[in-house]
Amino acid sequence: MGEKKQHTDVLVIGAGIAGIEASLLLSKSGRRVHLVEKTSYTGGSVIKFEEVFSNMECSTCMVSPVQQELLQDKNINLLMLAEVEEVKGSLGNFTVKIRKKARYVDLQNCIGCNACFDPCPVSLKNEFEEGLSERKAIYVPCAGALPNVPMIDTEHCLHFKGKSCNACQEACAFEAIDFKQKDESIELGVEAIIVATGYDIFDSKKTPKYGYGKIDDVYTAMEFERLYASNGPTEGQIFLKNGKTPKSAAIIHCVGRDEKGYCSAVCCLYSLKFNHYLKSKIPEIKISEFYTDLCIPGKSHQKFYEKMKETGTQMIRANVVEVTKSGKEITVNYKDENGKKSNLLVDMVILAPAIEPKSDASELAKILGVSLDEYGFFKGENQDVFSVVTSKPGIFAAGCCQGPKNIQNSVSQANAAVGKILSATKTKMEGDITA
Amino acid sequence: MAEEFKPRIVGFLCNWCSYAGADLAGTSKLKIPSSFTPIRVMCTSRIDPVLVETAFLRGADGVLVAGCHPGDCHYEEGNYYARRRFAVLKKVVEGLGLESERLRLSWVSASEGQRFADVVNEFNEKIKKMGANPLRKKTSL
Amino acid sequence: MTMKIGVYICECGPNISEKVDIDKVIDAVSSMSDVAVVDRYKLLCSSDGKKFLEEEIKKHGLTHLVVSACSPKQHEKTFMEVCENAGINPYLFQIVNIREQCAWITEDKDEATEKAIRLTKAAIRRVRYHAPLEKKEIECNTDVLVIGGGIAGIEASLQLVSANRKVYLVEKTQSIGGLLTNFEKTFPDMQPSSALINQKIQSLNNNENIKVFTDSEVEEVLGFFGNFEIKVKKKAEEEPIEFDVGAVVVATGSNIFDPKKTPQYGYGKFDNVINSLEFEKMNLSGKISLKNGKIPKSVAIIHCVGRNEKKYCSEICCMYSLKFVRYLTNKIPDVKVSNFYSDLCLPGKSYQKFYEQTKGNTDFVRSMDVKITEKDGKLNIEYKDETGKKSDLSVDMVILSSAIEPTSDASKLAEIIGMSQGDGGFFAEEHEKLGPVSTSTEGVYVVGSSQDPKSISETMVQSEAAAGEILSSLVPGKKIEPEVKVSHISESLCTGCKTCLSVCSYGVITFNEEKKISVVNEAICRGCGNCAAACPSGAATIKHFTFDQIYQELMEAVK
Repeated sequence: MGEKKQHTDVLVIGAGIAGIEASLLLSKSGRRVHLVEKTSYTGGSVIKFEEVFSNMECSTCMVSPVQQELLQDKNINLLMLAEVEEVKGSLGNFTVKIRKKARYVDLQNCIGCNACFDPCPVSLKNEFEEGLSERKAIYVPCAGALPNVPMIDTEHCLHFKGKSCNACQEACAFEAIDFKQKDESIELGVEAIIVATGYDIFDSKKTPKYGYGKIDDVYTAMEFERLYASNGPTEGQIFLKNGKTPKSAAIIHCVGRDEKGYCSAVCCLYSLKFNHYLKSKIPEIKISEFYTDLCIPGKSHQKFYEKMKETGTQMIRANVVEVTKSGKEITVNYKDENGKKSNLLVDMVILAPAIEPKSDASELAKILGVSLDEYGFFKGENQDVFSVVTSKPGIFAAGCCQGPKNIQNSVSQANAAVGKILSATKTKMEGDITA
Repeated sequence: MAEEFKPRIVGFLCNWCSYAGADLAGTSKLKIPSSFTPIRVMCTSRIDPVLVETAFLRGADGVLVAGCHPGDCHYEEGNYYARRRFAVLKKVVEGLGLESERLRLSWVSASEGQRFADVVNEFNEKIKKMGANPLRKKTSL
Repeated sequence: MTMKIGVYICECGPNISEKVDIDKVIDAVSSMSDVAVVDRYKLLCSSDGKKFLEEEIKKHGLTHLVVSACSPKQHEKTFMEVCENAGINPYLFQIVNIREQCAWITEDKDEATEKAIRLTKAAIRRVRYHAPLEKKEIECNTDVLVIGGGIAGIEASLQLVSANRKVYLVEKTQSIGGLLTNFEKTFPDMQPSSALINQKIQSLNNNENIKVFTDSEVEEVLGFFGNFEIKVKKKAEEEPIEFDVGAVVVATGSNIFDPKKTPQYGYGKFDNVINSLEFEKMNLSGKISLKNGKIPKSVAIIHCVGRNEKKYCSEICCMYSLKFVRYLTNKIPDVKVSNFYSDLCLPGKSYQKFYEQTKGNTDFVRSMDVKITEKDGKLNIEYKDETGKKSDLSVDMVILSSAIEPTSDASKLAEIIGMSQGDGGFFAEEHEKLGPVSTSTEGVYVVGSSQDPKSISETMVQSEAAAGEILSSLVPGKKIEPEVKVSHISESLCTGCKTCLSVCSYGVITFNEEKKISVVNEAICRGCGNCAAACPSGAATIKHFTFDQIYQELMEAVK
């Protein structure tokens, strides 16, 4: 009867900011990390933002050094286009099966020159850019994506749909494109698992009163982030659908809040950030923020709010009844807390939708054998709102997959999960170097 | 036929933001005048005023110092110090008998490839109008 | 030993070779002195390319290496490793970016070639001045000092002792437990607070890895990450207790805003106007009563007391006010509770549910300009609604939900430890987003409400995060490897002007009073270069970014 093998490797699921920070901290301690990421790029949601509140720091400048560190870290086995298929076992002895899809581009040979893009005959909407611009069937999601290696979208690539097309392969001077790559099945033994899979945003089409999807120039927060991004579809220029510059904008808070039943913690603050975005590109623009309760906790955030208010933004405490359009302008119809009705004409509307669990969160929870709370987020120990411990010992949840939160708290949770893992392993005697 | 004046511009770029922005301009295949020479430092706060003076004395037509946007400095406040030194440096440049506009301080973030290209191109045009550094022929050190 | 520089130009496939006439570059630099060999290769970062370089270094007995290829951000590390494997110090190497910042941005081939020549020459000139830098290793102590015995300090200690680290927990008052010992229940689960804190204290008491000092304060913190020297003063004892640690966790908590500073609420003037902490204690004692011993029939909870004065939202007051509603309605049947508030702050996932389940038991009145007076023997709340309409409400008792603020000794502690205070006077974290629990003093961490007002749950996460950072960077038996490209101050050139001290954001420079010179602690220097630029005598320099090295690049740039 053999002794059960105690693994020391750790599995981290999700290479967004929480997953990256957890992986780097684990690697620093000497652990080997397997970082599984579903997409072809690292950085998750944070790299979609141009700036972060409240000091308006450049998001790329903040994240790209850690992404670079990640890519060069020898202790971290980065598995991209990969998903966890099966998890068996328990703390100290998890057996994980991972399905890694083929990228069809060799990570070693590709030097990121982008020569394969132009020749590709297939164009389609770029999901990373929220459909606001196009990409090819062989693509990187945005300029500056890391790793700077494209992937082939086999659902749309002509070669994989049976048509004869080798345009990208012919354009590549490094023999980096390999149509023969196969999906892989990888089995790992790990001590613990950190889930850091992030979030989706509430589909604003589910609240038709805001006109999203029906009225031009009603944008979700993510779409607006991409419009403002200097590496985005418009290189940071803010235009209406008709090409004109908006003279007025309405930012509507709490979209989907009633439907979801919780406050998403970051929307008031990023709505104020949007105020800054708009004013910095269009100084004369008139901005109105529609909100019910202003949620801006934190030692630096009220200062940030006061600064935004000084730019002349109208804060309107009201419930938006309906967003309509007749002619050129959009009308925001609203009711204040006393029931008094009013309306406001604007050129552009930005919706701040709720943060919700990823659409495949319940599937992942089933695979891991952990519970979700009533909102679909990974449930913490003792119903604790912020605990990183899940219902299964050895499996931790960090970041927005655990509940809506800002970047700071996601990173704290990532480090906390690492702390839990490292403290569960008793250090042996001096001379035995394990953490 | 007079050769076209190609301004010799030295660009001190900080490792974290502006150098990455310059790399992004490259990955995006934007065009930047070839007479622009980048020199990498870890932080714009490393830029010794003597380096800038030496650059001009040795004939640099323009000096660009590009760092992280205020608040984004990898070393907390380095770029604030660069900004303060820069204000004094402008006076020094004037003291050398040169236009203070030959020295420029810009903030470029890692995602601003286009902005980097714009800044360098615009600066290049400006220096073209000012003409070559008159000290190039005069000084011998 | 004669210098032998090997210069290799990468074709990077067509990326460089089609834009730059590499042979012309080779010709241009071959004649430079100290250049032993110049060659080109298809793709130097490939495994064949790296092998080629290693072989070349050994074959020619090269002492220095220059590679003209892509950005240092891509492959500087790659080629430094090649050097190490081939027996050259990895810092006797310079990479030249002739791809992103030359070939890819220059249309004209002649111009691109000329630029590539200029950049390669600059690198050759620079590398001549490179010094071999050695990786340093510093012994480190893996013990930890935790300052503050509240939930933050206790949780951090627990994580650390579970990993067999020794912890010294220093608590100012006579017992550990902190603010939590005053609460009957915690939100939103409304579980007994004592259960939470007592269980943790029990675990600590049973652990031999922790030494708890109550009635004690930290007097002195000297040294640096991995090597702190601590002095702790226990009340009523003459001699301070001394010990060494590797890291310090600051978990000193917070105070509650003194409502006497906002006289409009009548605190200290009228009986039965109490602050939130006083109400917690009263509730915990089992009897909620007025000064005259009677049970209050009507209570008003005033939110945001001190918010305008402090200029931030304290995050937890709306939630604890709802908790107070529960306390009151559970203990006093038919009590009427009113909440006077401006904005509801419920940023936790189950907070809104808590509000929904509680609001039926209370009135929520959105108001401003709240003023408390006495009228007909009762307390009278005068207020305006958002339209400006005036109203008033008569109640028996008023609870002031007051702001959270730093402790009164925060500044003193900041000075002792060498931390900065940020917004609101709270201890400043290293980076708002990516460094939430570390500080700019390496090895010093700050957690809990001493860093920013926050809930118990968030505090525990921060404590665990600090433990994570400490457990990963201070490992028994493992040495710390600090940054190599750090500042160095020449003893002979230093004039003792202390300018460098004033510009260092990390506090790594100290002044040696005896020798009257500035000294850099290379173990914690980050290498930004600010001191080098500020130094008027040229004594301060940055390794690998010395004036001479940059000057060489500059000379080629202005030719």
